[in-house]
Amino acid sequence: MLDIKLHRYTFLRVMLLLIGIVFVMRLFYLQVIKHEDYLMKANNLQISKLTIQPERGEIFAKERGVVVPLVLNEQVYTLFADPQEVRNTSEVEALVRRVAAKELVDDSLPLLKNKKSRYVVLARQVTYEQAQAVKKADIPGVGLQAGVRRVYPEGSMAAQTLGYVNGENKGQYGIESYYDQELTGTSGMLEAVTDVRRIPLTVGTTGVRVPAKDGDDLVLTIDRGIQAKAEELLKSKVEQTKAESGSVLVMDPQTGSVLAMANFPTYRPDEYFKVKDYQAFNNAIINSPFEAGSVIKPLTIGVGLDSGAIGMNMTFNNTGSVRVDDRTIKNVEIAPTNPATNLSDILRYSLNTGVVHILQQMGGGQVNRAARDKTYEYFYNRLKLGQELGIDVDGEVPGTLIAPDKVQGNNVRYANMVFGQGMDVTMLQVATAFSALVNGGTVYQPRVVEGVRAVDGTVTSRQPQVLTAQAITPQTSELMKYLIREGRIHGAFKGLDRGFYVGGKTGTSQVIDPKTGEYTDKETIGTYLGFGATTTPQYVIMVRVNKPHIGGYSGTTAAAPIFNELSNWLIDYMMLRPQE
Amino acid sequence: MSTTHSALLTKSSLRRNQNTARFAASVSLGPITNIVMIVLMVTVLGLLYLGQISKKSSYGYEMNEIQASIAELDAKKRDLEIENARLQALERVKTSSMTASLASPSKTDYAQ
Repeated sequence: MLDIKLHRYTFLRVMLLLIGIVFVMRLFYLQVIKHEDYLMKANNLQISKLTIQPERGEIFAKERGVVVPLVLNEQVYTLFADPQEVRNTSEVEALVRRVAAKELVDDSLPLLKNKKSRYVVLARQVTYEQAQAVKKADIPGVGLQAGVRRVYPEGSMAAQTLGYVNGENKGQYGIESYYDQELTGTSGMLEAVTDVRRIPLTVGTTGVRVPAKDGDDLVLTIDRGIQAKAEELLKSKVEQTKAESGSVLVMDPQTGSVLAMANFPTYRPDEYFKVKDYQAFNNAIINSPFEAGSVIKPLTIGVGLDSGAIGMNMTFNNTGSVRVDDRTIKNVEIAPTNPATNLSDILRYSLNTGVVHILQQMGGGQVNRAARDKTYEYFYNRLKLGQELGIDVDGEVPGTLIAPDKVQGNNVRYANMVFGQGMDVTMLQVATAFSALVNGGTVYQPRVVEGVRAVDGTVTSRQPQVLTAQAITPQTSELMKYLIREGRIHGAFKGLDRGFYVGGKTGTSQVIDPKTGEYTDKETIGTYLGFGATTTPQYVIMVRVNKPHIGGYSGTTAAAPIFNELSNWLIDYMMLRPQE
Repeated sequence: MSTTHSALLTKSSLRRNQNTARFAASVSLGPITNIVMIVLMVTVLGLLYLGQISKKSSYGYEMNEIQASIAELDAKKRDLEIENARLQALERVKTSSMTASLASPSKTDYAQ
């Protein structure tokens, strides 16, 4: 009996031992061999990777040295509802209609009755104040999702220069595109154990936090006051003359800084989706090359003087026309013909024959390869006409300036180039070259961004960049300022400058009729290019009005009035003192 | 003296010149009690650990609430900045009643 008892007892012990061994082996398998697998599964469930979105950099302008906002970020919300949580649909409808009627998404309210849905968007782009009203109402099932949108307190100001940000938070056109990377910043990352609502908890040693780097805040060289005035005058003149479009560029010739860049027609960057004609997005100042016309003549005279081909006392016999190869080049008006026409007369009467004469002198008496080479050396290599200048705005194009060794770079073309036809250049290139003509000879790289603004408001400015250190000599520059001013004060704009040192040149260029492929006088582009208002010029202004319906020469009747008014306004705005 | 006490006072348990007395507890714990005690201690320690972990986790919620408050204040500050910018916008200033009452100077001159 005892043997049987002992035998059963032993059997039980052995069985329990075996079961114990099975348990231990199973636990060993799960906890040691399969440790990594289960750890990975646990981490996948518990650990969430959350991206920390950076804030897009804001954009500021200046106004007499004070930084003012142009582009800001606004917190907006998406108002949504969970139909399953909503107890009283009418209450929700009443709230949305009262607080966010304009932002209400069409046909969203009936969707609240669909109890199978868990997410219905009721309104988008709800402002902070509206969101506070929703939170105060505290209706179950209604929630807010935060987002950000770009706002433009100044409306359509400098729209083409700024560009806009699309629905994917990507900059389009202008500065928003050119500096998209700097403005976007760098996303951060948070990897941590989270609860079911994805709220990070502080347990665990595997948490990783990389803070987001917000985008840089940019401060522009653009002056808000000057920009607003330029836009106002441009809009008024374009509408008055029923012109197709127009542009105004104001630059600081001593640094290459752009003070204003106005285009009309324009658009509102916060309503970019409403634009039907995509031309409105284009900044014609940098991406619409054209035959600039007579505003190039001061450059030709400067080249002639600087190269030594002519002197200040140069005179020539102006008969109203000149022959170059098989073509006859004429002045716009035959009179005045004068055997002792001087440099001042060339600018005052805008004589094509005068600048062709200078080109001939650069070739030793005739238009030839030497003359073309010299012109190309100055126009292209030194003054950077016909090429991109590297302005920090998206969309710049080079234009066309044909080299003298090409078949198309013949004598007739170069004879046209010296008075602004036969080559396509942008307003930016012409104004930059003109700035070098009046600032002592330095070609500065034009720029729109002054620098980066730190959190404490200080601005780290960038230094002006030089493209050509000495395109012309300072002596030539002094002579050119004198001549350009003489051309203005003895011409159609006598007495308009209140005694200030202002000079400028009109331009009326023909356009090619697309139907015939020939130049036509029916439509022209009127331009005015000038500087002011002291012997050390403080501003260069270039105006362009496309196809105005106005009598007379469009450079004089459409473009020049904008320059005159803007120049006189700038004198007061910049508080310049007269110098004589 | 008790039996236990006197049993302890044997020759082998005493040393010369030392008046020592060993007092043993009258109650001794068996192996099952030991196991229960150990299990209880482990349980208490475990509960303490869980409590600490939970408290640590709750900091995550507190942090989340504070961050939400910061975000709320940030949004409010931004809203005020934008409102300020809109109020100082040139177009608004130009069309304001105060500007309407201003007159442009007919002439600007400079003191010598």
